[in-house]
Amino acid sequence: MSLPEERLWRFRKPEWLNSIWVRNAGVYTAGGLFSLAFYTLLDSAVWSKSSRNGSTIHVGFVDWLPFIFSALGMLVISNIEKSRLSSESFSYTGYSSSVAWKARVILFLGFASLAGGMAGGVTVFVLKYVVPGVQWPALGMGVENLVSNFLVGLSTVVLWAAVRILSGGITPFDL
Amino acid sequence: MPQAGLKTIISLSFVLAIGFLLVILSCALWKAYYPLLVVATYVLAPVPNWICGHCANPDDFVESSGAAVLDLGRFCTGFLVVMGVALPVLLCHSGLISTPAMIMSIIGGLLIYGTIISFAMFFQEDQDF
Repeated sequence: MSLPEERLWRFRKPEWLNSIWVRNAGVYTAGGLFSLAFYTLLDSAVWSKSSRNGSTIHVGFVDWLPFIFSALGMLVISNIEKSRLSSESFSYTGYSSSVAWKARVILFLGFASLAGGMAGGVTVFVLKYVVPGVQWPALGMGVENLVSNFLVGLSTVVLWAAVRILSGGITPFDL
Repeated sequence: MPQAGLKTIISLSFVLAIGFLLVILSCALWKAYYPLLVVATYVLAPVPNWICGHCANPDDFVESSGAAVLDLGRFCTGFLVVMGVALPVLLCHSGLISTPAMIMSIIGGLLIYGTIISFAMFFQEDQDF
């Protein structure tokens, strides 16, 4: 696993990173980041309907759509069995390459959905808030949309890295 | 683990009572009863971990299906814990509760959750793997 000739990076992975404690903390952190993303977006929706919003801009279904795509992508990505991705690691009865191919296609769809959600967040921000020239207190709703989609992506990264720590024995930096 | 005795129970129950006092006060002083949701959140927070811990078979750690269920429970628990802090901030930002009510309910909620966690730590049976 950690043979010296298989090492690619000059710095060795520190030993404390390989403990079950770090893995569990990473999974908790991923859940917390996803919660933060959801409540950031919910905050913009509640603020939009509250009395503090003096503008005519309101949060509708369009603002939720990028988050829905991001969360769908995260669901797909974190449900893939990561050890099926490399076809040479498992040799089942001849089906291994087809399983790896399927896993890669589904993973690609998941990442496309996540990236599409982030891009959709930027699109909503530009078309709904920047182009009409919305001023600051109402502009916060668009900024919260951006932050929310970014946090979903961050949560996906943290969850991926944490789950990889003990399951494969490979560093989280190479898939 | 320190010896858990009568003093631990008494101090934990005091902390729990102070937590509930802060949350209920943050509701009743301003006549806005939204922060009571924080109590429900923190009471529900250890439940996914508990359910998934009973669903998973700790023996089949190799095929990682048990670990996946445990991870789902941890993910949901992390979601609920951050929700307990995020909910008062959301309500305060929208003007539904005032800033002192937000601070009181966050501190009270954290005290309640800390009591639940430390109670589970002190008095758990030897069933964890």
